Amino acid sequence: MSRKLVIDPVTRIEGHGKVVVHLDDNNQVVDAKLHVVEFRGFERFIQGHPYWEAPILLQRICGICFVSHHLCGAKVLDDMVGVGLRSGISLTSTAEKMRRLGHYAQMLQSHQTAFFYLLVPEMLFGIEGAPEQRNILGLIEANPELVKRVVMLRKWGQELIKAVLGKRMHGIHSIPGGVLKNLSVQERDRFLHGHDGLLNMDQIIEYAQDGLKLYHEFHEKNRARVDSFGVVPALDMCLVNDAGNVDYYHGNLRVIDQDKNIVTEFDYHDYLDHFSEAVEEWSYMKFPYLKALGREAGSLRVGPLARLNITQSLSTPLAQAELERFQAYTKGRANYMTLHTNWARAIEILHAAELIRDLLNDPDLQNDQLILTPPPNAWTGEGVGVVEAPRGVLLHHYRANESGEITSANLIVSTTQNNQVINRTVRSVAEDYLNGQAEITEGMMNALEVGIRAYDPCLSCATHALGQMPLQVSVYDAAGELVHERQR
Amino acid sequence: MNASAEIAWPRLADFDRPDALIYGIGNVGRQDDGLGWAFIDWIEEQGLCPQASLLRNYQLLFEDAELISHCSRVLFVDASRAKGLESFAIERAQAKMDYSFTSHAISIPSIMATCALCFQRQPEVWVLAIKGYEWELQTGLTALAQRNLQAAQEQLHPACATEST
Repeated sequence: MSRKLVIDPVTRIEGHGKVVVHLDDNNQVVDAKLHVVEFRGFERFIQGHPYWEAPILLQRICGICFVSHHLCGAKVLDDMVGVGLRSGISLTSTAEKMRRLGHYAQMLQSHQTAFFYLLVPEMLFGIEGAPEQRNILGLIEANPELVKRVVMLRKWGQELIKAVLGKRMHGIHSIPGGVLKNLSVQERDRFLHGHDGLLNMDQIIEYAQDGLKLYHEFHEKNRARVDSFGVVPALDMCLVNDAGNVDYYHGNLRVIDQDKNIVTEFDYHDYLDHFSEAVEEWSYMKFPYLKALGREAGSLRVGPLARLNITQSLSTPLAQAELERFQAYTKGRANYMTLHTNWARAIEILHAAELIRDLLNDPDLQNDQLILTPPPNAWTGEGVGVVEAPRGVLLHHYRANESGEITSANLIVSTTQNNQVINRTVRSVAEDYLNGQAEITEGMMNALEVGIRAYDPCLSCATHALGQMPLQVSVYDAAGELVHERQR
Repeated sequence: MNASAEIAWPRLADFDRPDALIYGIGNVGRQDDGLGWAFIDWIEEQGLCPQASLLRNYQLLFEDAELISHCSRVLFVDASRAKGLESFAIERAQAKMDYSFTSHAISIPSIMATCALCFQRQPEVWVLAIKGYEWELQTGLTALAQRNLQAAQEQLHPACATEST
């Protein structure tokens, strides 16, 4: 009797999806997929809106990585009005640094949310831990001091986002050709020195290392499991600068293989020449891949693990020291261990904090040259923007008519880029945990979720999903009869 | 920091103090989900509770545990679709980890429990739940929700009932 296991929806990810695992008569895994079954379609309803509304509207896709969408959209608008990096007319240094400051604050925020609220409960209580304990509320009861530090860290990040972008969520300050405001000395000092009940910068750097300490303790105790869980080879991709180091705001897209050979590197404006997308009837999420290599060989991993596989170095000292440890672990080869994504994420929390410190100490942020005026007849009506969102490469592409109304929009979000690799991870974990098992336990189901959660997938972004369902697990036999069901 | 004299049944005037917070939860882009914000709008328009902090948010966040740790008295105002609720209800909330957390939503009792565990504070928290009926992507309250909002306003601030008659 073959069986089908359904986990619907996956918990503690942004948005909702379900996992279906097919087992044969001997309870061997024959297939496993992440189904994404909800749809909203922001690309369609932005059509007809004035082009300048796009970075404001499209960031509403998400309540977590809205800054990434906002800045990505702003970069598209720079292209459209004929200024910015595509045109060879750079934004003012103050404008670019303000955007970067907001971007790094978002990186700090989003990674902390994923790491401490969604992932740490697994580290502390174990994959097989009781579900009622294995969550943030269990963490609060077990370690309130840690959660207090995380709350204070997140509050600081939220206030910084508000200072830079105008609002705690869904900011408004990035506009075509620049930004609407700089950072006053008073605002800067508030974050550096910790006025108004905020942490100061030294505390931020200290607290930002909590994630790494937790990760290393967890890794030390569970080395074999962490290193063997969901090992999934794939090409890695991220934005790099001229030195070959990750640049979270701008650069070329670089793709590497396991030996860190450069498979391809290109200007993201030419993405249509390089990418194709496969469609499956069982998911609203597409499957991007490199055209030249085909879907199987050309699927990509993006996000923290990919970035730290690709980058030669990090520009801040504490993060650089940890990067050296991270890269030495795989002896210089690319790291494909899914749970090491959480190590990479913890390094990026620290790196973001250090980058923010450096920017806050940069007097350029107090300059008032904020917006470039486009030269006459510079309007191009089309633009492409890419940033490194917390979850990986995020791409926006808009076209507008001569009246400035958007005629088409294409969004390829990080979770979509990771779709194929996430599905491979689901398959790998299913084989390791479900093969030959007569009964499906809570711990086995959660192992599948842990594999998915390592990518911190945002299905809201990837499909623009809405809504919430209870968790239900159903097992069917080959005839479609329900033989086992669990509900959370 | 506990309130020095706890109240049996609150009036809006009980929240007119510097260490009080009135917090509207909801989304004005989803019809009656905007009830919480509409209540805050009304307080501002009427110039009520000038000493209290007023806040609107789409949803509660864990950071709100730190926020309410600075308060002695808090009033959360939210729309409700509870079947048993006829118009509105005001109830004293109790701290409790209820494990309903997702990254999109956390309950008021869980925020209070987080506040107690992480910040060792337990403010006096009240919840004003106002019945709503429609939740589609549209601005504006339904007539029934508007009626419930007015009833809640009159209950918490009887002077406005007198003014409107």
